[in-house]
Amino acid sequence: MSETLDLREQAIRKWGSDNRAIRKGKWIGKPARRLEDPRYLTGAARYVADLELPRMLHAVYVRSPHPHARIVSIDKSVLPGLGKTVFAFTGEDLRDVPPLIDHVALDNLLRTPQPVIAIGKVRFVGDAVAIVLAADRYAAEDAAELLSSVVEYEELPPVPNVAASGASDAALLFEELGTNEIYREAITHGEVDEAFAKADRVFSTPFEHNRYMAAPMETRGVLADYDRADQQLTVWSSTQMPHFLRSVIAGQLGLPENKVRVIAPEVGGGFGMKMCTVPEEIAIPFIATQLGRPVKWIEDRHEHLIAATHSKQQSINLEVAVTNDGKILGVRGEFVGDGGGYSFNTESALIEPALAAKALPGPYRIENYREEVGAFLTNKSPVAAYRGVGWTAANTARELLFDEAARGLGIDPAEFRRRNMLRSDELPYLSCTGQVYDSGSYLESLDKALEAVDYQAFRQRQEELRQQGRYIGLGISSYVEQTAWGSESSAQAGTPLPSHDNATVTVDPSGKVTVAVSVSSHGQGHETSLAQIAADGLGVDIKDVVLLHGDTSNTPYGLGTYASRSAVIGGATVARAAADVREQILQVAGKMLEASPEDLVIEDGKVSVAGTPSRFKTLADVAYAAHWDSEVRNSEPLLSATRFYDPPANYANGCVVALCEVDADTGVVTLDRIVAVEDCGMVINPMIVEAQVHGAIVQGLGGAMLEHLIYSDEGQPLTTTYMDYLVPTFSDVPPIEVISIETPSPFTVGGIKGMGEGGQIAAPAALANAVADALAPFGARIEKLPITPDYVLRLMGKIG
Amino acid sequence: MAMSSKQIVELNVNGIPHQLLVEPRKTLADVLRDDLGLTGTKLGCEHGVCGACTVLVDGRAIRACLMFAVQAQGPEITTVEGLASDGELDHIQKAFAENHGLQCGYCTPGMLMTAHAFLAENPEPTREQICEGMNGNLCRCTGYQNIIKSTAAAAKAAK
Amino acid sequence: MKPPPFKYHACRTIDEAVGILDSDPDGSKVLAGGQSLVPVLNLRLAAPDNLVDINSIESLDHIRVQPDHVAIGAGTRQYVVERSDQLHSVLPVVREALSHVGHSQIRNRGTVVGSICHADPAAEMPAVFLTVGGEVTAHSAAGTRTIGSDDFFESYLTTALEPNEIVTQVKFDIPSGRTGWYFEEVARRHGDFAILGVVALVSLEGDTVSRARITIFGGGATPLRMTAAEQLITGAKASDIGGDLLERAAIEASAAVRPTDDIHASADYRRHVAGLLTRRAVTRSLERAGSPA
Repeated sequence: MSETLDLREQAIRKWGSDNRAIRKGKWIGKPARRLEDPRYLTGAARYVADLELPRMLHAVYVRSPHPHARIVSIDKSVLPGLGKTVFAFTGEDLRDVPPLIDHVALDNLLRTPQPVIAIGKVRFVGDAVAIVLAADRYAAEDAAELLSSVVEYEELPPVPNVAASGASDAALLFEELGTNEIYREAITHGEVDEAFAKADRVFSTPFEHNRYMAAPMETRGVLADYDRADQQLTVWSSTQMPHFLRSVIAGQLGLPENKVRVIAPEVGGGFGMKMCTVPEEIAIPFIATQLGRPVKWIEDRHEHLIAATHSKQQSINLEVAVTNDGKILGVRGEFVGDGGGYSFNTESALIEPALAAKALPGPYRIENYREEVGAFLTNKSPVAAYRGVGWTAANTARELLFDEAARGLGIDPAEFRRRNMLRSDELPYLSCTGQVYDSGSYLESLDKALEAVDYQAFRQRQEELRQQGRYIGLGISSYVEQTAWGSESSAQAGTPLPSHDNATVTVDPSGKVTVAVSVSSHGQGHETSLAQIAADGLGVDIKDVVLLHGDTSNTPYGLGTYASRSAVIGGATVARAAADVREQILQVAGKMLEASPEDLVIEDGKVSVAGTPSRFKTLADVAYAAHWDSEVRNSEPLLSATRFYDPPANYANGCVVALCEVDADTGVVTLDRIVAVEDCGMVINPMIVEAQVHGAIVQGLGGAMLEHLIYSDEGQPLTTTYMDYLVPTFSDVPPIEVISIETPSPFTVGGIKGMGEGGQIAAPAALANAVADALAPFGARIEKLPITPDYVLRLMGKIG
Repeated sequence: MAMSSKQIVELNVNGIPHQLLVEPRKTLADVLRDDLGLTGTKLGCEHGVCGACTVLVDGRAIRACLMFAVQAQGPEITTVEGLASDGELDHIQKAFAENHGLQCGYCTPGMLMTAHAFLAENPEPTREQICEGMNGNLCRCTGYQNIIKSTAAAAKAAK
Repeated sequence: MKPPPFKYHACRTIDEAVGILDSDPDGSKVLAGGQSLVPVLNLRLAAPDNLVDINSIESLDHIRVQPDHVAIGAGTRQYVVERSDQLHSVLPVVREALSHVGHSQIRNRGTVVGSICHADPAAEMPAVFLTVGGEVTAHSAAGTRTIGSDDFFESYLTTALEPNEIVTQVKFDIPSGRTGWYFEEVARRHGDFAILGVVALVSLEGDTVSRARITIFGGGATPLRMTAAEQLITGAKASDIGGDLLERAAIEASAAVRPTDDIHASADYRRHVAGLLTRRAVTRSLERAGSPA
């Protein structure tokens, strides 16, 4: 305990002394309508697929139909017009491009270099075998179909799942590694064996989290244009991380970074999937450099479902040791990832199991915990990031098990949580896995959510309806969400990655504001929320702010948008740069108004002497003078500043409660209502926060009820169209009510915390617990997702 | 690889007649996007599930990925680019802006077109009717909540 | 995901369409609403040399309600059928079933006849056709013939049609007597093909069941008539159809289906639900027959 206190003190000292002030005026905290909307509403927004360049070629992939095979031959000569109107590239043609490798700083993690087009061997259905190009997409598909029909393979035994992967006679995906198990490590926190020895009861659950995926409405896409005269490469990609992608492309292609420009135009959703560098983002630019013509690749939906990264799949075995009165003494967990054909670059196959293991304690007081993490290769599409990485699975397994324990102990599930949940006055708190929870409202969130659904009345109604043979259920899922992915946050998550981000704020000679940020919007509304921060910082209207993002040529370097970092990092960098520019403005205005800069205020685009509003200059006048009047201008006349921020880790929290009814005859689950309490610290734009919660919850709902990327025992994907891979529609979604609590972070600029993933982290457990609660009379235990009608009838013992 | 020969196709899009030379296998969605530059119509699945390519054909919402341009000669085709007039958003576009009915914007054009056709037939819809009527359009960002709100608001505004 | 090349024929007459089909029966496909065919083409799961578009044949766009049957042309869109009050007044099950076919955009373009000819065993309209009874009219260069609903569906996506035949219309029989109906399906999402569904028509003469038609869809390679269950209740007094008889009908239905496991549900599930939906179908149809809506 004393060590915990020490670390808490240290954390407060470390971040508490930082300059965290943020200037709040008319905009921060307001549900400002989005400035970016008109172009989306009129069809003017341009995504990668909408871009055309002269002499552009369309690229289409030939992909492996086999889960595991050697490539024997690819006879390109079958293609009519090869080298003239049709072009083709195989792995051999790209042999000089280095393979993609993860860069997780762990010595005992085995590496699986992935060529950007397969060389010698394919490792999943959908693995890239060749790229065919033609002037027209239809013609390119014709050629790809033809080439695909002549690729010769020597099939190898498929490794369709973890059990097969770990078998002693399993075929090896990477023979040189001598094993398919690329990682195994156990860590003990506290006195776990003693805790279990002392326990009155031990509850355990095996839990299979399903494989599902982000599936943004816009698939992936890349357009690359290489100017041979200037040796300048421009790449438009549907990416969340344009600057990082530029660094990777430059490195992979051996180009100076200043000769590579990456543009993320409009991006039609990412949800984490578009953060990792994908092989296509290297192969397409490489081909553009070889051909000297623009090359565009737009992934189609079938390709997306089989060859874009999947996510979430892992097996979790969880045990909790408790006293009879419901106090948690200890937890043991084994987390095994099914990583697919390659331990994917950026975060490796550990992205699911390792992050789950670290986040397992959640909002609870768990001091004794043993985590064991394993990761296997299988002949499936690689697993990478998707909103709520690892945390979704951890939350689902934990919250399911806690309900199970509560039922077993005869304690109300809400009460069981209350007895083990950290109180606000215990924060900051150092979790046993090394996460410093800065502040929060864990119990308050739980209570507010239960109050909103009138918990006691629900229990009464549930009892009445059971008498009539109707089964309604209520599921609770509390969560802590690690946000603001910077150096510290990534270290606390267990996958250290140095962070670097900036914003530049500039006031031009007309007095208008341009903000250039390294974070990159793909639907989050940064052009509005970050404008709100700049507007308050400079005392202007948000309509006077233009936000630049997504283009490495006009924005400062930084990592982009992922892991709920952009509000915290984007917000802080903009606030700090705006504060610097404000000082520059006040210097000039002070000279113009013959007043001390400290005595000036900026409001509504006017700089005036505090208390004497009639003594003012418009911001336009000041900006003009700053640029053109050598009498008053500053020694560095540009009204511009660039500021950096690498945030301290911080943790949002909340609670999702779901209500459902199960049709005991058909097993069909009807979702009646979802209530979400969200505490993400200081809110910049409540309208955007609420909508992020909606979206995240429905993605979690998809994973819990509908979405499942299924492979046959032979390693063939069975969910290859939107007729088989079921994302939620309007009719699958109940009304969602979002309740806000604001507990500012004591560590970050403005007290802002990240948000946007909590819904996905928490919703599956809320829904699964609701179904389990409805089916409690049948002794049902949910051990896998999604919850299909078939599974419900099995849980009830009606079939199977 | 048999090439299918191109043929002349006459389309009437957003009130403007066009004469184009296209392969008969080219979908209406691709012709709108590639040949007419009307890239507001999106492709999300190209097999008739996601609704991103929804356009109006004589006022009825259809999937432009499941119709060949050669089949679309004669009727009046309306795309998202045909909604606003003189830069002024129409009442449904406004309702989406006012109710945060979009995030990444990719599903938005199709959503707006379906909302148009739906509200024309259902001027005073309930929540359930909105869900069923709009159900052929997927959105991955919003969880539908604010699209339902926007559609209801648009119905109100039309009165 | 773009369709392979094909030769496109915008036919103006049935003879023109039939002529093309006859010249290359195996290499030709008929294009009506295209809501099943075009996805197949886009995914390159089929590559016909000729696409025979019948959308411009005006004589195919009709709904004719006669005293004993309703005729629907091969060009008639599902939304038109869905909105026909005249048809609804004689066959209310059709509107209910159509509301489950895809989504509004699909029904705006898709045709009832096309859906029947596509013969997806989990689709709604083939099951309605089989339940209601009737016939399709098929044209070929050799002439015209009719195929009864009981002889039409042969296997998965396979009908009794010859490759050179075009269906020009389907006739749905209008049941006589006081007839109650029922439609229900269990699907993963609204608008999806059913995991399993039921369509039923039960007619009463006095208090006696004079005719019962129950079809399960999604329970085998074609929609399946539950003949054993139908026989159990036919001739029975409505007032006698209760727990025991319903239970036996349900057991017959569960035994009669030939389901397979797929990614959406197991065969066990389908067998279970076939019994359950049969029971519900009989009960609700009888109620409706007793108090005609």
